[in-house]
Parts: sequence; C-alpha cells; structure tokens
Amino acid sequence: MVEAPAVKHWCRVPIVFAVVVVVASLPRAIGAAGQDAQRPAAPAGGYAAPRTPDGQPDIQGMWNPIGTFYNIQDLEFQARYQNFRDDPSRRGRSLIIDPPDGKIPYQPWALAKSNEVLQHHADPTPQYLDPNARCFMQGVPRHLNNREFEIFQPPGYIVVFNMAHHTYRSIPLNGGPHIPERVKLWMGDSRGRWEGNSLVVDVTNNNDQPWFDVVGSFHSDAMRVTERFVPINADSIEYTAVITDPKVYTRPWTLKLTFTRNKDYGSELYEESCLEGNEKTLELMLTRPGR
Amino acid sequence: MRIRLIGIVVSVLAIAAFARPVAGQTLPRTADGKPDLSGVWQAVNTASWNVLSHQAEKDVPAGLGVVEGDEIPYQPWAAARQKENFANRATADPESKCYLPGVPRITYMPYPFQIFQTPGHIAITYEYVHAVRRIFMNTPHPDGELEWFMGDSRGRWEGDTLVVDVKDLTGQTWLDRSGNFHSEALHVIERYTPLSANHLNYDVTLEDPKVFTRPWKMSMPLYRRMDKGMRILENECYAFGFEHTWLRPPQ
Repeated sequence: MVEAPAVKHWCRVPIVFAVVVVVASLPRAIGAAGQDAQRPAAPAGGYAAPRTPDGQPDIQGMWNPIGTFYNIQDLEFQARYQNFRDDPSRRGRSLIIDPPDGKIPYQPWALAKSNEVLQHHADPTPQYLDPNARCFMQGVPRHLNNREFEIFQPPGYIVVFNMAHHTYRSIPLNGGPHIPERVKLWMGDSRGRWEGNSLVVDVTNNNDQPWFDVVGSFHSDAMRVTERFVPINADSIEYTAVITDPKVYTRPWTLKLTFTRNKDYGSELYEESCLEGNEKTLELMLTRPGR
Repeated sequence: MRIRLIGIVVSVLAIAAFARPVAGQTLPRTADGKPDLSGVWQAVNTASWNVLSHQAEKDVPAGLGVVEGDEIPYQPWAAARQKENFANRATADPESKCYLPGVPRITYMPYPFQIFQTPGHIAITYEYVHAVRRIFMNTPHPDGELEWFMGDSRGRWEGDTLVVDVKDLTGQTWLDRSGNFHSEALHVIERYTPLSANHLNYDVTLEDPKVFTRPWKMSMPLYRRMDKGMRILENECYAFGFEHTWLRPPQ
C-alpha cells in the first residue's frame, strides 16, 4: 500500500476513459506532425529526426518509459509485494548500466539509510513513505520513469509535461548559465543542447527530497545529472542519465531507460491533480490503528 | 511579509520603467505572422488579495481593483456566501490548502508565468505549484462533464488578440483571497492583447449562471519580466509548513 495516489487515480478512470474516447478522435495537433513529414535518410550511426521550424530534431509527442519506477536496482522486486507474476529469471535486472553490477554505488552510511527504507517501504510510517505518494514533485530523472509524458518543442526550448502531478520541466537551449547554486529546486535547473541528433541536458540545483524509486533510492542536494536523449527511430528514444553526487555515492553511476512513442493516447494530456483530494487518503493510511 | 510588500513596490517601479511604450516599436511576431507572446510575464496589482478595490490592511496591499464597474453581480444567495467565505477565508480559501488556483486567479497571483507559443498549441507554465495550462488552438472542448482545477482551454486569434475559451472548471476554486467565488458552471473568456513588445492587456469575461446575474469583466495589464537571467523558479506551496506534521518525515 505505498502507492496511495493510485486510490484516487482509479476513481478517476471512468472520467478519463470517457475523455480518451472523445479526445482520441480529435486531430492530432503536435505529436503526429513529425511522423508525416518527409524524413531525411538516417545517417550511419543514428536516426535523423525531422526538424522543427527552429531546426531542432523533432522528438515531440507522447512517450512512455519501459521499465518500472518501483525499484530501479531490481525490476522484478515489485512482484514480492504486489500480485504480479514473479519471474525468478528476471530478478535482479536493473536500470543501472554502470557500475556493471547494477547497484547504486552508495557510500556505506547511505547504503544503510537506503536499506532501512527498503525494509519498511511496504508498510511505511511517515519517514519511510515515498515522497511521490505525498504528491511532491518527482524530480529528475524520476519524472521520466513514471508514466506517460509529453515532449513539446517551442522555439529555443524543450518542455516536458507529465500528467501525473501536473509536473512540467522546461529546458532552455540558449546556452545560458545555471542559476545560483544556493537555489535548490524539486525539478532542478536544466540546460540543454543538441549534439547532432542527440539532446544533452545538464541538470543542477536539485534539492535532496525526491527519490529515484518507491524503495528509498536517494541523492543529496549535491546531485548533478547529465542526460542524453538519443532518438533511435521515429518511435523510440534511448535515454541515459549519469548521476554524480559526491556526498552520497563513491562514483558516478548511469541509469538507462527506453522511451517508446505512445500512439494510443491522442495528442492531449489531461489534468491529474494530486494533492487536491489526496491528503485525506494519506492521513488515513498513516494514522490508521497500529501506527 | 513587509519585505515581500517592499519587493512588490520595487518591482512595480522597476517594471514601470520598462513598460512605457516605445515610439515606433513594432510587435514581435512569429513566423506565421501572429504576435509572439513567448516569454515570462507577471501581473503587478493586488487582485490576488481582492479583485475589487480595497484599502490596505495588515499584510494586504491596497488596490483600486480590476473589475469593470468595481462590482461583482452576485445573485443574493451568492452575495451572502461571499461574506461567509470572507469571514472564514483563513482556512476556507483553497489557496490556504495549496490547491491549483484555477483560471483566472492563477494569472494575477504574485508569481511569474511563462508562455510558450507554436501555431497549434500554446502552453503556459506557472511558478506557483507547477500549475500548467495547455491552450490548443482552433479545437473544440472535449465532450462530457469534466471538472479540472485549471479547466480546459481552447484558443483562437482574433486579429492580434489571443482569445482563450475556458470551461470544465471546478467549483472548488476562488477568485481571490477575499472569498469571491464561482461554481463549476464558470465559463471564462480570456483576451490577451499585446500593447507593446513588453506588455499585454489581459481582459477576462466571467459567466456563471449559477452564481452571477450577468456576465462581468476584469481587465489588467501583464508585464514582461525583464530581469537578467529570468526563469520560472518553483513555489511548491504544499511542501512548506508540513515540517511539523505527520505528512513530513521526522529528520
């Protein structure tokens, strides 16, 4: 019972479903535009996406991550706690491609702290509750590893919209400097650039609140993330995030995700408020008898 | 709070210096010839505290109001409800719970917002609680009885004015901190008209047959934030003040 917001989201399903049916029939305004455009031939070693009017490779549209946000170090871990198929052959698979063992290279104190949350996450008292379940911002990179998100490319920017928590993140491409270091943000300060067909984003000014997953994988406010979005065909993006945080880890580590184009969703995300109405659910969960 | 008020005054003076129309200045335009509204904007008035004229009180700056005729045409029951709201505003105001503030209230809260513009779609991202609005151009509202805190926005150009039709709002949002309110039947028509490269006029028509006796209007300028390195920051209202409650883990 860690995913408290799901309670509310499921209540919403009939409304959302009704809207999906209607809106799916509307003209696809942004997302599909690139698909129909004349595509340049893909050069060796990479997919050359069609260009936006300001010359960016066009990766606009709805995307979904493949994987799980439950435990980024063990993709089948969730099966232990929820009624999902537990496939022993898949246990231990990780989103982490470096170090090779797929584990976050925590300093000893940090590993102990993370393990404590892991042990208590399924029946949490407040200190073990996923910040995401409190409707707090998901931060980078987790907001890309949850559910559907949209990439929008107005001139000079990449803007990512998440339906969950009505989060957005804007990434200016103008080469401007990061904001002063003492300003910490839930979603960080992102500065992006295109290197050929790949988008590279440097994310600083992160605060120490978001987790990477439900089971307490964490970072400090010294975290820096270097992201690389590499479109490999019209409908897939390979994403890597190099995480550096000398306060918490012994070395940088790399998380890898694949995003696939969501063709079922239509071209519009809907409002999914979180805090509004969720507070009571959380209170009941955390103050029930026996707590 | 005193510092914040001083900050507002300073901002007003700073912005006023930039807001003077420049003789012969032409509007920036996008490739399709529409006014380019891209950038960071902010209202500089006290409508967030009260959309009607009001004198100063502790922590409330005075203002001349933004409502045409300085009167909201409430039905009798609604006028009584507004008084009740005002009396209970410390806890009854949805802003005190950090909820998404709805339209048009989000526009004149004392935080900046950024407009991103393409021909088919305009997005507005707000600093306050990461509120976001998507304005799809020349498309119909979805069918069905939706209630979204920020509503459903559909845009069109009338000359150089961006007209945004907003429906599917909730009855859970207010118009200001003084208990002025509406129901879920609210229909908002916003008109963003550029007056120069650096200021817009923001006109709003509000219709709500459940609460008001007739449609009524607000009007105010919006100013471009010209601060060096300006970007939208964050104001995650609900993450403040929970340090001492069950919602926040003990450190």
